Formats: sequence, structure tokens, C-alpha cells
Amino acid sequence: MTKEELKGAGEEGEDQAQSKKALKKAQKEAEKAAKKAEKQAKLAAEQQSTEEDDFAKDRYGVSPMVQSQQKLDRVLVRVQELTPEKADQLIWVRARVHTSRAKGKQCFLVLRQQQFNVQALVAVGDRASKQMVKFAANISKESIVDVEAMVRKVDQKIESCSQQEVELHIERIFVISQAEPRLPLQLEDAVRPEGEGDEEGRATVNQDTKLDNRVIDLRTTTSQAIFRLQSGVCQLFRDTLTNKGFVEIQTPKIISAASEGGANVFTVSYFKTSAYLAQSPQLYKQMCICADFDKVFCVGPVFRAEDSNTHRHLTEFVGLDIEMAFNYHYHEVIDSITDTMVQIFKGLRDRFQTEIQTVNKQYPSEPFKFLEPTLRLEYTEGVAMLRAAGVEMGDEEDLSTPNEKLLGRLVKEKYDTDFYVLDKYPLAVRPFYTMPDPSDLKYSNSYDMFMRGEEILSGAQRIHDAQLLTERATHHNIDLEKIKAYIDSFRYGAPPHAGGGIGLERVTMLYLGLHNVRQTSMFPRDPKRLTP
Amino acid sequence: MALRELSSLEKFLGLKKPNKYSTQGDRKVPVLQSNSAPSLVGLGTIATHLAQEAKRPDLLGASAEERAVIQQWLEYRVARLDGCAKEDIKTILKDLNAYLEDKVYLAGNHISLADPLMYYGLHHIITDLAVQEKEKYLNVTRWFDHMQHYPGVRHHLPPVVVLRNRVYTSGHH
Repeated sequence: MTKEELKGAGEEGEDQAQSKKALKKAQKEAEKAAKKAEKQAKLAAEQQSTEEDDFAKDRYGVSPMVQSQQKLDRVLVRVQELTPEKADQLIWVRARVHTSRAKGKQCFLVLRQQQFNVQALVAVGDRASKQMVKFAANISKESIVDVEAMVRKVDQKIESCSQQEVELHIERIFVISQAEPRLPLQLEDAVRPEGEGDEEGRATVNQDTKLDNRVIDLRTTTSQAIFRLQSGVCQLFRDTLTNKGFVEIQTPKIISAASEGGANVFTVSYFKTSAYLAQSPQLYKQMCICADFDKVFCVGPVFRAEDSNTHRHLTEFVGLDIEMAFNYHYHEVIDSITDTMVQIFKGLRDRFQTEIQTVNKQYPSEPFKFLEPTLRLEYTEGVAMLRAAGVEMGDEEDLSTPNEKLLGRLVKEKYDTDFYVLDKYPLAVRPFYTMPDPSDLKYSNSYDMFMRGEEILSGAQRIHDAQLLTERATHHNIDLEKIKAYIDSFRYGAPPHAGGGIGLERVTMLYLGLHNVRQTSMFPRDPKRLTP
Repeated sequence: MALRELSSLEKFLGLKKPNKYSTQGDRKVPVLQSNSAPSLVGLGTIATHLAQEAKRPDLLGASAEERAVIQQWLEYRVARLDGCAKEDIKTILKDLNAYLEDKVYLAGNHISLADPLMYYGLHHIITDLAVQEKEKYLNVTRWFDHMQHYPGVRHHLPPVVVLRNRVYTSGHH
């Protein structure tokens, strides 16, 4: 055969092959189409059947957004109140879906409201249809639901819930606010104790992730407990001092001169000049004393531009400050402050046990111990104790943080207390407005207070004499012009006075035995964090 | 350093006449020169010789096993402990702590040459430990405190403070 003939034969063959190919292709497509049609028919049939069989259609679903369309006269029961006393009652609850798990014809849900949660169940029966159970199982975690259910007593305690003796049998369930299905962190991971996470290979959430998604992290039982307790600290502080006759004052936070020294202060632009954010209410507290308010306290933000990235420093925190005029000796003030602290500790111990136990589940710690009256050691005694333990330090040297912590352990071992006062610090390490000791110029009438070995309060008798104040300021190389208004306030009769300030976040952290102040600050600020 | 140590060792052994030592090399290895015998080089070798000279064979071990253990510790002192890097200290303390968990002395049930020599070698490390670390390596601290109070051992070294009670409870970090 010639080439052309071959070619021709090939082409013909190709044609044949092509038509064979085309045939096959057509066949495949036909099959595909047939399958698709079958599927669609099946779906349609199913849907029809589901719509037909769904007798519970009105008892579940996603509610339209609550735009205050109506005033429903409906009582919503708190999860906390779901106890055996409510057994066999039909009640409404609004809570979050903590978990939902389908098991055949049933769906188990855990409904959560702040620190409390309860088991709930939707079961196929005369009240709920298959579709309703499916719907419940598919509700995304954290969605807010309104549930009408029968409260039933259970035979076996439900260990994993706060409400252990009852269970809800759901008759109606509506989604009020849906959560996006992919959460940035899982709540059960966020409350898992760290050790457990490592051991069983289960996830825990690291602090940065928690802080970046603070809104969700704050929903955990631990966070709810921490901040309720913190609110208690603030309230006990106010109540105790008010009962002692103190007046609450508000001091300005935008000020013209740095109060504690120029290094760690934030500057803000103030119209045509600049101003500073107050590092403490110190100067204003004292001016109030000179203005005859006698005993004052204030609760407000404190701004420290310290580039310290430690477990206990924030750039903004809440300061609880006290200032008090006294009669003859500044120990009158120390006694008042320590008594206030003791009242706070007692109040927390007596009224916030639930919260303390909740926090301990994730962060175990020893209960906070204190003595009555509060232990007060002199600085020289503290130095002696440290030297006896092998630490070398000078008489007028300030305590470094490791030494403070070691001293805390030594005091705990010797006196069995987590709270104590160290009195008569060396003058050289205190601010210029500290009153020197009358009998020994190396020391001063100043004191620090410690919780679990960490400093929570720094205080002193203040110099109330304009001349001495000027001398001390000059000695510290402070520009007198900048503090003229401050010195002037002591020129027209000033009572002897003393005081101190504590950090709300630090006190909460140390009381609970936590290890990072960011855990006790709702939206913490540090050199690396400005949001949320 | 080694020379002061050897002089203390002589006092511990009750040797009346102090020997004269010299050193050789950059690492200042001690040498004991003798007229009648070849000179002895090395801390372990000299220490063993001194113990024999002082007629204290008990310090060198009663059984063959004990003798071997004591020599092993002398080796350890010179080869692993002296001049060790900072990173190794943790491992050394950890191993020693595990070893001393059920022992009062490094070898056998009585003091041997290994104990004072290891005490001299460890002194600078233990001096630098914080209270918390001393409690972490509790057995080492216990043995060390025992050695520094043992009659005749301490001599040229300052005492290290060891607290009587534990200050860091087990749950602390």
C-alpha cells in the first residue's frame, strides 16, 4: 500500500475510532444524566416526605432577629435555678449552646449561662420530630437559644454540669442569635488545666490567643469567676473604707507634670502643648488632705509607660489608692490599711468561695492565708532573715524581686502568712516626698505590703512641710518649677498624713494564686498589646 | 586551688608533715615530688597516696567494689566536674541528686576519700545556687551540708547556708 493509502486507511480508522469515542462519550453522559435525575428525584421525594412528616415544624427553627417587635410576657428561668425543686415544670430558658451531640434518635445538648450549665435533650417522640432532632444537632456552638422544656430529675448525678440533679427535656427550641460555625478558640480547651493538656495530648489555648479573642475567652467559667471576684475586691474596698469614714474622690488623669518621675510617663498632645497621663493619684490625694477631707480614697486608672514585659506589669491598670491624715504616728495609717486589706480577704473568703473553687479547678493553688493583726516586720529584720538564708545584701540596698520572693517564702515558713508589711525602708530607695525616720536618717517612715511574696502596696508618711519637701526634692535633682503647685499646697497648714496604693489586678491575681496579671485584667494593656 | 585542697586534705587525714606540691601544665595539675619514688601527678593519684601514707585504708574502700566506686568518683571529680561548662551543671546536679537519694555517703556506709574531694569540687557550684535550687536538688544539698559539717573536712572553704526547713512547698514553681 502506498503511504497515502495507509494514511487514508488510518483516517478512516480514525473516523471509526472517533465515532466509537463519541459513542462512548455520549453513553457516559447519558449515564451521568440518568444518575443525576435519579438523585434529584430522590431528593425531591425525601424533601416531600420530610415536609409531610414534620409534625414538629412549629416547635423549632431560627427566630427572626429580635428587633423588639413584641413584648412577650414570658418568664425565662436562670440555669442556676434549675434544681430538683422545679421538677416536672414546663419552663423557658435562654442560654448558649455549649455542646450538642446527636445519637441516633436523640440529641444531647449542654446549655450554658455564665458559670452554670445544664444537660438538655431532644428526643424523637410525640413532641419532637426527626427533623427537629437533626436541627438541634446542627446548631453551631455558642449560639444563643430559647428553649421550652420540662425539668426532670435524674437518677444519676450529671458530673460534668453545674446543675447535676436535673435535665431538660426540650419541647421547643429556637435560635435567637446564631454563632458562626468556626470559633477562634474552643471553650473547653480554654478552661483545660495546663498539665492535663500535655498529659492527654489535648489542646489548651495559649494566652495570646485568649487575649486576642477576649470576648470569647471571657465567657469561660474561669474568666467569669475571676472577674466576679475582682468586682468583689473593688466593692469590699469601697464598702470597708466608706464604713471607716473615708470619702471617695476622683482625681484628674491628664496632668501637667509627671508625678513619679519623668521616665515612665505617657505624653499626650494637649491642644497647643503636651500633657501627661497620671502615673498615680499621689499628688491630688495629698492636696485633698490639705483641703481638709481628712480620709480619702480613689479608684481609677493608672498609666505607667514602663517597657517591662513581665508577668506582673501592665501599662494601664486600676489603682485603689488611700490617703489619710493621722494624729501622732503613721502606724495609725498602716493599721487602717491592713485592716482594710484583711476585711477584703475575709469578704472574699466568705462570699466568693464558689468563684475561688471555679478558678482553682483550672489553676490549682493554696488558699490565701493571713494573720490578725497583720504581721509587720522591720526592714532590718527582713534583711537579717535573708542573710540567714545565705543572701548577701547591703543595709540600705533595695530588695530585688527574687529577694522579695524569697523573703515571702521565709516569712510564710516562719509565720504562716501570705500577707505582711515591711516597715522602715531605707530612705535612699524611696521617692523624694517620703518622710525620713526621725531617729535614723538612713531610714524612712515608709512601708511596702506583700501578698504571696510579691509587692502590692508601696506607701509612706508624706512630707507635709514645704521647706523640708523643697530640700528633699533638690536632693533628688527634681526641677522645682515643675512641682511648684504641689509644694505650694503645703504652705497653708497641712496635717501629717500617710497613705498607699494597690493595684486591683495584681491583688486579684495574688489572692487567687494566679501567675500572670493579664489573666485578671479584662482587656490588658502592655508594651506589646493595645487591642482589643 | 588544688594545692589548698591538698593541704586541707592532709589536715583531714591527720598528716603532721605537710608535703610540698608543684603544678604542671596550663590546667595546673598538681604534682607531688618525692626523692625516693617517681613523682605523682594528678589530684586523684596524690589523694590516694596521701590516704595510704596516713594509714587510712578505710578511706579507700573495704571491698573491691567499694574501692572501684571510690576511684570512679575521683575520676569523675577530675574529668567531669573540674572545668565543667555552665550548661553541664544542671545535668551534674540532677545525676548526683538521683544517685544520692538512698545514700548517706558516696561510697559504702562511711566516709571515704570520694566525699571530701567531691565536696571541694562542688563547693563553688553549691555556693551559687539559689534557695529554690538547693531545695530542688535536695539530696545533693543534704549530703553537702553533711560534708561541710563533718569534722576535719571544711578547712579552707566558707560554709554554705543550708536552711533547716523547706521553704518552697512541692506545689511551688
